[in-house]
Amino acid sequence: MSALQTFLLVVDHDKQEAKQIAERVAQDVENKKTTLIEVVQSLGEYINDDDPILRGKAVSYLTAIIKELPAKFLSRQQIQVLTTFFCDRIQDGGAVAGLETLQKLDRFNKPLAEEVARAIFEQFQELQSRSQSQRFQVYQLLNELMLNYRGALHDMGDESLVGIVDLVTGEKDPRNLMMVFSILKVVMVEWDISNHAELLFDSAYNYFPITFKPPPNDPYGITAQDLKDRLQDCISSNSLFAPHSIPSLLDKMDSTSPNVKRDALNALIACIESYDPNTVSRYSITIWETLKFEILNAQEEFLSELSLLVLKGIAKRLSEGVSQISDQLPLAQYLRPITKECNEQLREPQQKQAKPAQQILSAISSASAPAFTLIIQAVVAPLLTIYQEADGIAKQRALLDTLSVLFDSSIKVFGEWTSRDAEVAFENPLLEFKDQFSEIFGQALMGAIKEEVSFRISALKGFLRLSVLRDFFQDNEIGLFVQYLDEILLKEESVGRDDLKKEAIVALTEISKHKPRLILDITFPAFVATLPDLIEADSGYMNTLDVLAKISVEKDIFETLVRRLLSKLSILLQQEQSGSVEYPRAILLTILYVMNQRKMEEDPNLEFYYDKIVVSLCRSAAVTATSTTTSNNILRDATVLDILGRVCNLLVRALPRNKQDEIAQNVYTLFTSAEEFQPVPFAPSPSADQKRTMILSTFILAGLPADVQNLPYTTNPNMSALLTDIATRATGETELATQYAFLRHLALLANKFLPKSDLPLASDLFYTLLPPGSETSEVVPGTIHAVFWLSKALILRLAPTTTQLLTSLLTLVSSPDEATSLTAARSFSILLRDDEILSATNGANIRLLSKQRVFTTLTPLISSRIREVNISSSTSSPPQETQHIKPAHLTALSGILSTITPDLVLPELPTLLPLLLQSLDLQTANSTPVRLATLATLAVIIRDNGVPVIDKCGHVQSLVTRLLATAAITRANHHPKLRVDALTCLYLLAQAPTDAPALARAGRLSPLLAVKSQVVRALRAVLDDPRRDVRKAAVDARAAWLRGVDDAPEEED
Amino acid sequence: MASEVQNLNPTILNVADLPTRLGSAALSKAGTDRVDNLASIFPPSAYSNDWPTALYSSSDSSDEEEVLEEQIDEQEIYDLISSISDPEHPISLGALAVVSLPDISIKSTLPDVPESVLQTVSVLITPTITHCSLATVIGLGVRVRLEQSLPPRFRVDVQIKEGSHSTAEEVNKQLADKERVAAALENGTLMGVIAKMLETCR
Repeated sequence: MSALQTFLLVVDHDKQEAKQIAERVAQDVENKKTTLIEVVQSLGEYINDDDPILRGKAVSYLTAIIKELPAKFLSRQQIQVLTTFFCDRIQDGGAVAGLETLQKLDRFNKPLAEEVARAIFEQFQELQSRSQSQRFQVYQLLNELMLNYRGALHDMGDESLVGIVDLVTGEKDPRNLMMVFSILKVVMVEWDISNHAELLFDSAYNYFPITFKPPPNDPYGITAQDLKDRLQDCISSNSLFAPHSIPSLLDKMDSTSPNVKRDALNALIACIESYDPNTVSRYSITIWETLKFEILNAQEEFLSELSLLVLKGIAKRLSEGVSQISDQLPLAQYLRPITKECNEQLREPQQKQAKPAQQILSAISSASAPAFTLIIQAVVAPLLTIYQEADGIAKQRALLDTLSVLFDSSIKVFGEWTSRDAEVAFENPLLEFKDQFSEIFGQALMGAIKEEVSFRISALKGFLRLSVLRDFFQDNEIGLFVQYLDEILLKEESVGRDDLKKEAIVALTEISKHKPRLILDITFPAFVATLPDLIEADSGYMNTLDVLAKISVEKDIFETLVRRLLSKLSILLQQEQSGSVEYPRAILLTILYVMNQRKMEEDPNLEFYYDKIVVSLCRSAAVTATSTTTSNNILRDATVLDILGRVCNLLVRALPRNKQDEIAQNVYTLFTSAEEFQPVPFAPSPSADQKRTMILSTFILAGLPADVQNLPYTTNPNMSALLTDIATRATGETELATQYAFLRHLALLANKFLPKSDLPLASDLFYTLLPPGSETSEVVPGTIHAVFWLSKALILRLAPTTTQLLTSLLTLVSSPDEATSLTAARSFSILLRDDEILSATNGANIRLLSKQRVFTTLTPLISSRIREVNISSSTSSPPQETQHIKPAHLTALSGILSTITPDLVLPELPTLLPLLLQSLDLQTANSTPVRLATLATLAVIIRDNGVPVIDKCGHVQSLVTRLLATAAITRANHHPKLRVDALTCLYLLAQAPTDAPALARAGRLSPLLAVKSQVVRALRAVLDDPRRDVRKAAVDARAAWLRGVDDAPEEED
Repeated sequence: MASEVQNLNPTILNVADLPTRLGSAALSKAGTDRVDNLASIFPPSAYSNDWPTALYSSSDSSDEEEVLEEQIDEQEIYDLISSISDPEHPISLGALAVVSLPDISIKSTLPDVPESVLQTVSVLITPTITHCSLATVIGLGVRVRLEQSLPPRFRVDVQIKEGSHSTAEEVNKQLADKERVAAALENGTLMGVIAKMLETCR
């Protein structure tokens, strides 16, 4: 059997075999064992067969062989013969593939390409009727010709244009269309289409709008958007399409489908961007006439937004190349009807359609400087006239807002003072109205009666925009505005929520970025002058400091503020008698606030602040603590030391490493010499004042890096003695703030500075403080706190003993001594709570999994302990001394829950939910915090996961009943927040994503339906709660249940 | 429902200008608010050493907090109904001035029986145009909202403000007729419209 015959037999079912046959023959041809002519001749009988399938196979044989030949093997003549052969046979399968192979060859040429194209165009009807994949092959061939021999096709002119259009007409397959659109686009852009513009346009536009939805798991991954994008590229490709495209697209605005309208608007935007400006101009007014309805009577927000983009796009195109503004410009003709319409609508600026009119002006005026100028010329004068004639403040206010919209556009076009982009060539047309604006806005801001807050705010915002607008106001004019703002902040009484003052601060802050000099020259002296030198003065300083803190974001202002405040502070510290500590504390607080806003590590004055604050103030504090003569008590106050400590912490963190090593030596000496001050650790009997300096030491220590050098008492031989000393002092301390400092200090050392190898030292300390067996007797609160803080430090770094520590702590809760049990239970919230000293910012050693570890260790233990208590109390009457154990465990649990993220809770929900429900059953007054924490946890669970998770645990009924009980006003629910939170949970239940459609499809009813009438009835009583916020929550919850929980679907009629 | 929008271009009040409780309440306390202004820019813990037991001790003290009874007043009624949306525009009844604070009153239902807790809430609504056929729907919406949100001891009376509507009498009769109201509420389409109006209630 010949190679050909074998090929014909296997080609259908064994592609591999067929390919091998072709390879062999190709090799023979290459080695001159046979010739191509012989191969063609061997086809003889088959290619004239009546069976088209057989003919197709025979042609494929030839194609397969050619494919296997080396690229340079065929001579020009052979290619020519083969091309003609395939073109003649183009109806037969395999010919298209053969042509595609041939055109890739080096010796293929332009005339041949033309021949191939012509063959395709002549047979277009035949080719159209083929299967999708064969059509794809044809398009691919055409596409290749477009890429490699575009000149040939281009020279065919109208013939190729019409040919291509005929060929692709009626194509429906998305994959093929992707190719068709890209072929068409080339023709549209590069051919001379003047004779056939409509034909070509229709060939693409026929597909508009695209409604294709890709089948699920579509392997080709073509989306509707891909098709839309390519189609849009076609529609917008040539200005000659405009007479067809723009009217058709505008017609689509009558469609009832918002999606069709969206596609049409997007296509319009694309057309406007790519058609030439003259064409855009011709249709500009028609487009406006159609689209204005979309904006003025917006159906959908996005359609109005897109329409505005179209209008803005036109203005942008028409502004191209405009250097002189005149009435004769196409741009001016386009804008005339628009400004007329807007002026009309803005005559009653409070009415609904004034808003879209504003939007139109805003969109178009921000398009370009010429558009802005023309709009200002047409709009501002009438607006000012209406303003003068306006009969009410509400109307005036609406006009101020409209002007502000224009100011915004002005900023977009001309930039702010701080803008870096190039200046605009046109003069700002608003300059003509500068004095009028200044007067109107100034008058509205300062001349209106004080109660008209929203009017004055509008004026303030407008004035602010003009002040930051580049090259508009002179400095003295902005200065006037700054003075107004100062006056509002310093002299005016508070009104309502003080919104005006808040806005004034925002405005000053904004101006300080653009014109810091003005703030320094005007606002600063005015405000600093109101700061008293004596403490006895009134409390107005708070206001001043508040404003100064907020406006001091700019570098120069910040620096000046800190220096002024520090000198104020030193005056206060030098006074013989100190009065209230609130004023110096507020000063420190202000310094802390402004420093927090800045990147201190980059501040050039860091050294100065270090000397003035860390070294000098800490030293003063230490000296004051030992001194018996000073009666100035400022630096003896714990809250002052606390704020000072925070400032030091911030600075210590920002300082370079070598400085930090230096500071480490002074953690306890606080930069004093041995005669001046005795460090607290290991001191035989320090005074209360002395011990209080540990607040500073703790904050400074927290700011140091973990591997800092020279930390005292830590290396000789290890940290054990220091830890024990601090722990002992913490246990016995009576002053709360100082005790807190000791506890945090202990935790900081154990967590951050204790080397891993020395961890047993900390565990030893734990068992020294809490020897085994101590859970059966009374333990003093100081000790309990010390062991909890020590445990916190070790648990956060996930020390190997974490589980033992947690178990030991939990046994304290079962203590028969009620006070011990309760203190321990409450202390569980310490373990995971974010701490400002033991924090990631301060480089504390906090492992990510620590929270999860604590939760998953403790929850099962607490759960089983409560079950034990429940069982024993149901069998026998509970002995008096164990009654507190269950509430105490629930308290411990709530402490943990309030400090972990909700996603950790979910896996444990089946265990946890019964415990939470039991917490809600607690009735004593001191269970309020526990119940509040429980409700907070429940609220998060419900909000994030909805009803199904609760339904799955089978607790919907019991949960709802308990929530309703908590929402009712009783002695136990005295705290209004309890009732509000319970109602919030109920609200969330009905509001939460219940996966409603899925339920409906499954024919299942909401699990809440069973309790709906119970809830709605019970809430009706809550509507009469004496507290307003409770009533509000009840109204919301009840509305949610009435609306969100559907009744059983009614029987179909 | 009517497909033609009846009032294309109503006047809209600025939301910031609508009456709120905060305005008057803050005024009386303004002096105290001002002092902790600075504190407001810090986390509360920046000020004090927040001892974990602080929550426990404070909760005890708040137990003694005034059990001040806050009566349901006109502002509260206004807050309940002003956020209902107009069936024609996505704008609230408050912003359209369809309901306004002075047009709400709360009186004892039985002034002769001083110990009675029964109270009557009267709301007058002002349609945006005098021939608005949706006035009845708005009235019903207000009524439904109040009946859902007030305790049972309140009676609700909704009327069209005198002179603001061409067929006010007719509409008032409809709104006052219990049976007609009940029948209207059985109507699925009507309830659909009302549910949509109430969706925006805050």
